[in-house]
Amino acid sequence: MNFLRRQLPLLITFAMGVVFACQYYVPHPVSELLLTTVTKWLQIIGGFALVLGITSLFHLHAGKIRRKEPGWGYSGVLYASMVGTILVGLGYSFSFQQWILGKETIDGVRTMFGWIYTFMMVPLQGTMFAILAFFIASAAYRSFRARSREAAVLLVAAVIVMLGRVPLGEYLVPISGDATQWIMNVLNASVRRAILIGISLGAIALSIKIIFGIERAYLGGGRE
Amino acid sequence: MPFETLLGAWVATGLTLFILTFLYKDNPLFKLAEHLYVGVSVGYTVVKTYDTVLVRLIYMPIAEQGEWSLLIPIGIGILMLARYFPKVAWLSRIAFAFIVGVGSGLAIPRIISSFILKQVEDTVRPLFYAVEGGGVTFTVDLMDPASNLNAVVLLIGVVSVLFYFFFSVEHTGPGRAVARTGILFLMIAFGAAFGYTVMARMSLLIGRLRDLIVFADPQYGRPSLWLLLTTIGLLILWTTRQTERSPDGS
Amino acid sequence: MTFAERMLRIDRRIIFLLIGLCTLLPLLYPVGLAIKVSPEVRSVYDKIESLPAGSVFLLSMDFDPASKPELYPQAIALLHHAFRKNLRVIAMTLWLPGTGMAAEVISQVADGMGKVSGRDYVFLGWSPGGSSVVINMGQDLYKAFPSEYFRHEPTKDLAVLKGVRNLRDVSYVVSLAAGTTGIETWYVFGKDKYKFELGGGCTGVIAPGLYPLLRSGQINGLIGGLRGAAEYEVLTGLKGQALAGMDAQSATHFAIIVLVILCNTFFLFIQRSRKQADQR
Repeated sequence: MNFLRRQLPLLITFAMGVVFACQYYVPHPVSELLLTTVTKWLQIIGGFALVLGITSLFHLHAGKIRRKEPGWGYSGVLYASMVGTILVGLGYSFSFQQWILGKETIDGVRTMFGWIYTFMMVPLQGTMFAILAFFIASAAYRSFRARSREAAVLLVAAVIVMLGRVPLGEYLVPISGDATQWIMNVLNASVRRAILIGISLGAIALSIKIIFGIERAYLGGGRE
Repeated sequence: MPFETLLGAWVATGLTLFILTFLYKDNPLFKLAEHLYVGVSVGYTVVKTYDTVLVRLIYMPIAEQGEWSLLIPIGIGILMLARYFPKVAWLSRIAFAFIVGVGSGLAIPRIISSFILKQVEDTVRPLFYAVEGGGVTFTVDLMDPASNLNAVVLLIGVVSVLFYFFFSVEHTGPGRAVARTGILFLMIAFGAAFGYTVMARMSLLIGRLRDLIVFADPQYGRPSLWLLLTTIGLLILWTTRQTERSPDGS
Repeated sequence: MTFAERMLRIDRRIIFLLIGLCTLLPLLYPVGLAIKVSPEVRSVYDKIESLPAGSVFLLSMDFDPASKPELYPQAIALLHHAFRKNLRVIAMTLWLPGTGMAAEVISQVADGMGKVSGRDYVFLGWSPGGSSVVINMGQDLYKAFPSEYFRHEPTKDLAVLKGVRNLRDVSYVVSLAAGTTGIETWYVFGKDKYKFELGGGCTGVIAPGLYPLLRSGQINGLIGGLRGAAEYEVLTGLKGQALAGMDAQSATHFAIIVLVILCNTFFLFIQRSRKQADQR
């Protein structure tokens, strides 16, 4: 039993990791078929991973409502909107005389599910991120100070880019457009490239550690 | 105008304004909209997962093309869900082992090729170009990212930033000069990133306010104006009640 | 407390109001300043322009409603251009919350230009897995998406996909990305092996991180944020939402620059007065 619980997962990770790392260099039809089959499987498994995440949220808010924790009414709103969206999205529509099956429109006509998406989800999510505009402005005013030479360089670069990416900036300070292009294409690209190389080396090191069973955090919970 | 569009305009405007009330302070209107957002998003995810995974990726290929091999990923997926049953939770490890193993294997060669070899290849470019009839040339056009001068600057940037990150020992002597150069490059890139982030955030606000302007049109019944007044009224009411409950204003 | 200190501690809601007004007023009273087109945006345009009619163009709309103001106008402009060039269009998304928007934009633009689903374009919808989807499409497009989105018609029967087996048969792919599951995914798990031409469109936040790929030629062009969309609208001659938003973009950038200058001026005053006080 101990083998099934501890060694088998590590063995599967090792075998799969080695096989698919080598697969890249073996363009044989069998190897290609293996890649096609397993990536298709991963698409389906990805769906189950989503279910896993959603179920956790379901449990969390159901618990809040059951225990009548402070703010449980909001959890009720969340629950009702979630269940409502699911019912509308998967239910039968009498006006369309068919099952909706998650379609926002049927023959160009908006369904109730599409209505919820367009007039609720899109503006809600859009505004949630749009308010960051106000906070970035406030942060710029409060903390964007040239306390040192390095900070001054950062500030000047930011101002040039902000000028160079808008028509009014290019109109008033014509050189700002070209300066921004140079900063982005050369200075920014060099730093981003170094960061990309660094992150990639880290990701490869982590993948190798996972394959060889040194890194096991992903196996996480579950009783031994 | 269809009734559903009219109603949609009012609902979208109301929810937008409810979220914007957070700029005043955290309040019940914002919380209501926030929870609605999470609920609707999760509901949408469930519906899409059902339609895409269960219907299009599993049911149709099995029922119409007899792809019974798809029962294997379904089995692996079910193993993942074993995490919710303590007695058999360990079974989920097999599923995770499969996913992480394949993922790591797929990623290693592709990342090496795409993000390391290709990036290094483009960094180490010729410093001079040979010209016809003998001799060499060194181009200095700053606006041409492929010019020799820019190639040198790019090389200095990449090397100095990598040096700054990787050699975490105390930087002294020539190492200090390289590290300082790396910091300078980093600061410029962070400044550029800030500029672009400002640009992005302002664009999002422009998008939302444009919708509010559209919904201020008489053909929709001016929901932007009426609901703005209503929202402000509700906020005043809520603030007054809060102040009454805690007269010290705390 | 000195004037400078008081100014640095003003209620942040005053700044909120200033930003709100700087966005709202130019939207209500636009000026319409000229926009210069950058080489990275022109490259995407030129590539589509160079494709012969009937070539296969894949647009992956890898974003959610949070990035709609930046990437939706890009999608409209690109689809307009592709349909005008009579390209065969494959549209899809790797982001679940963006499915509805992607479906809306492709059907609206196509309807407006008299294009028919199944014949001139196909919307594949969303599929989970990100990188796995791209690899699977590179191996066999019909395995990754056995049916199209709107009517669940088998993709194998669609006229628009005639002669297309996998990503190798696609002439040009453009990913409109709001995060790493987007342009990077399409390069690492797609172009690296299947050798199609790849271009990108992205939000302003992730644009700086994509310049190394642009410089190395791994992507042939990049449309960055609302500004990039406006540049593409200039190239296609389409007066869309992006161009309309540029004045507000200018005003808000200037507001932030003024705020930064003010903040530093007050900061300098405080520093000086503290130094003077110390000397005394």
